[in-house]
Amino acid sequence: MGEIVFKNICKSFGETKIIDDLDLTIKDGEFTVLVGPSGCGKTTLLRMIAGIGPATSGELYIDDEEISDVPPGKRGIAMVFQNYAIYPTMTVYGNIEFGLKNKKVPKAERKKLIAEVAETVGLTPYLDRKPSELSGGQRQRVALARAMVKKPKVFLLDEPLSNLDAKLRVSMRTELIELHHKLKTTFVYVTHDQTEAMSMADTIILMDHGEIQQLAPPEVIYNDPNNVFTAQFIGTPPMNIHLMKDGKTQIGYRPEKIQLSREQGQWMYCRRAKIMTREMLGSETLYKLQIKVMDKEVTVMSKSLNMDFAVDDEIYVGVEKEDLYYFDAEGLRIRDASVLTGCYEMTKEGELHD
Amino acid sequence: MAMSKQQVRRLRKARKISGTIIGTIMKVVVCVFFGFPFLWMVATSFKTNAEAIQFPPTLLPVKATIEAYISVFSELNLGRYIGNSLLILVATTVGQFLVMVPAAYAFAKYKFKGNGFFFGLLMVAFMVPTVITYPSVSKMFMEAGMIKTLIPQIVPCLCNAFGIFLLRQNFMQVPEELLESARLDEASELQIITKIMLPMSKATLSNVMMLSVIGTWNSYFWPLVMTYHDEVRPITIAIESMKTLEGGLQWPIIMAGNCILVLPVLLLFLAASKKIIAAMAYRGVK
Repeated sequence: MGEIVFKNICKSFGETKIIDDLDLTIKDGEFTVLVGPSGCGKTTLLRMIAGIGPATSGELYIDDEEISDVPPGKRGIAMVFQNYAIYPTMTVYGNIEFGLKNKKVPKAERKKLIAEVAETVGLTPYLDRKPSELSGGQRQRVALARAMVKKPKVFLLDEPLSNLDAKLRVSMRTELIELHHKLKTTFVYVTHDQTEAMSMADTIILMDHGEIQQLAPPEVIYNDPNNVFTAQFIGTPPMNIHLMKDGKTQIGYRPEKIQLSREQGQWMYCRRAKIMTREMLGSETLYKLQIKVMDKEVTVMSKSLNMDFAVDDEIYVGVEKEDLYYFDAEGLRIRDASVLTGCYEMTKEGELHD
Repeated sequence: MAMSKQQVRRLRKARKISGTIIGTIMKVVVCVFFGFPFLWMVATSFKTNAEAIQFPPTLLPVKATIEAYISVFSELNLGRYIGNSLLILVATTVGQFLVMVPAAYAFAKYKFKGNGFFFGLLMVAFMVPTVITYPSVSKMFMEAGMIKTLIPQIVPCLCNAFGIFLLRQNFMQVPEELLESARLDEASELQIITKIMLPMSKATLSNVMMLSVIGTWNSYFWPLVMTYHDEVRPITIAIESMKTLEGGLQWPIIMAGNCILVLPVLLLFLAASKKIIAAMAYRGVK
């Protein structure tokens, strides 16, 4: 078990309010990823769960037990830090053993547990080494082993892959997913990297300015964003969003959903465009396009499998109805059917003339 | 006219050689400057009194004798002074450690009201010349009736402001996450200090402690002001008092006393010279 519940949580640093009246439930056994730009409060939430950065007010429960006053070591959690925070003067064995020793686990059992966990993360040959003699990836494993050996109810991971090189990051990502499948405990993972969030999470909690923008599985976050922030945070390049004729409603479409053609097609959204730049990515090509909206030039990005177009080509761009998103003046998604009908009409009217 | 490559090479070589020669001469001068008094002290301690005052003087004893060393212990009761010095040394060193480590830890890692103010106060204490506190501290202990004990030589020295400052700087470099990680590992604050902070600050700590040991063992003015009775005086004062021994200045005895005084410090340095130099160099580079 390891369900985490935040109730009316507030957090301030001096005069600055970081989180204001937040309610949130992190489900037991799920891989939950807290994602958002720097300063959005995601690490603050994680530190609250760990007990190393307590909330200013509000209640925090793990498995229905109020833990606000429980010291960090007694919460049944383990944390992996961004810079690993492994003790440099202790050997790998000493690092993994430290927490167990403090918990007064008998020596024989400690030995057995450490051997098991070292085997799982592939550290057995390095147990006698000091952290300075290990590579970045191995240090990361020490941090993981140290967390795993405590058999916690909740794993907290604070950007644990950000110090690794790109290749290692991808392989560690897979290993973490496997580890979660094996352990089946609650993982709370903080990152600012949307790829990490999308690839690892069962549930993504997207945050901005201390508020939850959307809480949903990755595919929902991607396909059905609640607001402009979510739509533009997830996806590379981000969703194209620009104002419509009425000057209030915003229309959005993902770069990968844009169809490019030299001929005008039967799309709900159809515009003439000029290709400004072209980046060949391998399987796909990234085009920067310029279209006209209400006499203004608007830049949109398109990711296409079609690599036949060149810079300065004048082409048609089109988006199907189901790939269009509409947002109101506040940036919230328009879901009301009657309002949507109006939006569709406006889209059609603007066809080729915007 | 431009120089040929060979000429340039020759010039460079000549410069290098002259640099080496000048460097060596300087080193010899420095060695003689610091080494000669030391050699003179050791040599004189093994001379007879007559040889020590004869003119022209001899560099090395004509007939080496340990008479002076025997006199130091028999006439001067040096054992008692050494005992006093050792007691003061152990108490001061242990006391300083017990005060310094928690203080540095608190200054470095705790946010409490007045942290900056108290640290500033400590720095003021560190910068104010100790000499100006002599009369008042001495009077205080006298009025408290402690002047006949070793306490005036120990208690005022327990707060090593320089040590606290150095150790605080070192502790501040220990990442906060390590402490948080240790707290998550159920470590107590004492365990965090002993298992994480101190092992990570070994070089600075041993450096500070060594400087403190040397300073305490060699201290002269403080005990001179704080003591009025032979029973509580350390070896440094005892050796100074040899000048007034019956029979006038006895150089071999004074030098023998000095040799005994300097021996522990010398042994300490020989045993840990690498560490001392490493600690200094490490901090210098940073």
